[in-house]
Amino acid sequence: MVFLKESAILFLCITTAFNSFSGQISDTIYINSGTLQTFNGSSLPYKCFNSSNVFDKRNAILSYSISDTVSLTIFNNDISPHRISSIELGVTSGLISPGMNETVSIHSAASGTFIYHDSENYPNNKILGLAGMIVFRNNSSASFYWNLKELDTLWINEISSNNQLSAEYNPKFFLINGNHNPDITGDSSARIVGNVGDTIHIHIANTGNAIHSIHFHGYHLKVEQSSAHPGHEGRIKDTFPINPMEVLTLELVPHQPGEYPVHDHNLIAVTGANIYPNGMFLTMLIEP
Amino acid sequence: MTRRIVLYFFLMSSFVSVGQQMVNHQLIARNLGEKEMHDGIVLRTFGFAQSFSEQPSIPGPTLYANEGDSVVLDLFNVSQGAPHTIHLHGLDVNQENDGVPHLSFEVHHMEHGYYYFVAPHPGTYFYHCHVVSTIHVQAGMYGVFIVKPADGSNITWDGGHPYSQDKLYTMSEIDPLWHEDSVMEHDHDTTQTIHEVSIPEYHPSYFLVNGQSEQQLLEPDIALQTAKEEVSFLRMANIGYLANRVTFPEELNAKIISTDGRPIVNPEISDTLWISPGERYGVLIEPIVDLIDSIEISYVNMNTLTSEDIQYVPVLVSGTNGLNEVLIKRPFELYPNPSADQFYIKSFGQAYDCIKIYDAMGRLVHIENHDNTEKKSININLAEGIYKVEILLSQCVLDTLKWIKR
Repeated sequence: MVFLKESAILFLCITTAFNSFSGQISDTIYINSGTLQTFNGSSLPYKCFNSSNVFDKRNAILSYSISDTVSLTIFNNDISPHRISSIELGVTSGLISPGMNETVSIHSAASGTFIYHDSENYPNNKILGLAGMIVFRNNSSASFYWNLKELDTLWINEISSNNQLSAEYNPKFFLINGNHNPDITGDSSARIVGNVGDTIHIHIANTGNAIHSIHFHGYHLKVEQSSAHPGHEGRIKDTFPINPMEVLTLELVPHQPGEYPVHDHNLIAVTGANIYPNGMFLTMLIEP
Repeated sequence: MTRRIVLYFFLMSSFVSVGQQMVNHQLIARNLGEKEMHDGIVLRTFGFAQSFSEQPSIPGPTLYANEGDSVVLDLFNVSQGAPHTIHLHGLDVNQENDGVPHLSFEVHHMEHGYYYFVAPHPGTYFYHCHVVSTIHVQAGMYGVFIVKPADGSNITWDGGHPYSQDKLYTMSEIDPLWHEDSVMEHDHDTTQTIHEVSIPEYHPSYFLVNGQSEQQLLEPDIALQTAKEEVSFLRMANIGYLANRVTFPEELNAKIISTDGRPIVNPEISDTLWISPGERYGVLIEPIVDLIDSIEISYVNMNTLTSEDIQYVPVLVSGTNGLNEVLIKRPFELYPNPSADQFYIKSFGQAYDCIKIYDAMGRLVHIENHDNTEKKSININLAEGIYKVEILLSQCVLDTLKWIKR
């Protein structure tokens, strides 16, 4: 129930931002530190960009209209200095000391999905969780948002304790918007719900370190945007590889009703802590 | 199940109409298969067969239909243990026929399950079990479903590219630990459709093309054998848990024309193709010269982005005679392999003047001229990994070998 409430708030947050009057708008996010609880009882130190002062394992999804120029203020509630960057949008803040804030101006001439992340102590702060997505939209179609990320508990604990890494990357948790199967299906910003014939956009950012290969059951979708391979835009596919720190925007126009899975087809990533099923697997629900 | 049998006979009769073919396939699911690997090790497998007299193969049998055909796929599960399903990957069937246990149905021991669909756009698709898919796919329960144009001709799709032959290359891996009874006989609760199972760490040691690896790839049915200016259509598919980086010899003029059963509007001319798990690509080749070479397939760890192995599919562009002789009598041998800082290149009478060594990401890391010895010693200090060794004469590649540095 708590989770559903959080999802509703997040959805409201996204909707509110998108429905704001176009033009100059202001928005605020907070760098919070907290604890991420894994399903098998582990507690991991974690940091996120959130839309409130309260730690949430899901980074804020910032969704704006293409005509917006956004004045984004970032408050640092953490004990370490941070910085916000969006390489594709050409934005980098100054160093934000603990307890301080910084404002950056963000605008995009083209619609699309973009990553923002902490570029201070890169990539370690990003591995600790500090990466989310910004979406500039030129339409009002239904949109869903997936921030893909894996967790290697050893890496996270080592970075938190001494900022060093001693082993090869070996993640055991595979998350979408901070959730794994089956909890992802309860995330209204992630779970695709619509009707046959709708135009639906799915904004995907891979803020992890691994390649993911997202397979859709039931439908082929069109690549609207690929940051890694602009030449692939327009391709119609059912499986979509996405490299670390890259984004995809997909367009789905469902031709048939049903409940169908979407999952990483690296089938190790549909597990969690070596338990199947878990990981990057959710279903979409299309009504007639 | 009774309902499905009635539906089956209803569809059997109703599908027979003007302009449509009805295609029936049966897959027999078994979980006591055996597969001999390239080093002689025999592993237990799960898989699909089309008769009781045959072992389930890896991959399973390739199934065919023409665009517009009404397909009935009968899954007969004769295996003990967990149930099985068929997921028709990329064929965009409706929910009931999608093969995901908790959203459609699963097929238990000695049951038949029938899947119905109309073959969509011509292309290359997968079928695989979706019960505890992480284990059952690794165990071998997968194959390829090919849809050809409505008339069954050798053309990529209506209005597409004609070709003289198509070749299917399905990539996957095997971790022998996953093929032990303790993993394959996983828990399952017949009252549930979601089976929670512990899985081992994944450390594959066999890297497969059409279920074969290393010297098994020298078999003529694996090799790409074609002639100058002849058009071949390669169907490249990855059902493993690693990404593939495929490198074609430049002289093949590879053109990537389709993916996941759909045409690519702006075909990509490239000698490099990345294929992630679950993806399929269609590649046209039209060589411009006679050639003996290989298609290089690197298996890249999705987490570390490093190559874990390289396999080579032989390529012979010439007349159609003498392939066996060419494949069996390679002009060079590299030994010992794996080795530490030294290995030898032995020539069987073939002159050469240069050796180039590339790392798994395709970077040239060493170049050495030949000194006319029959057995050439190479001393080199490189990081552990997989390396490609090219042997050249007058800047033409004569042979490509793999060296594993330990």
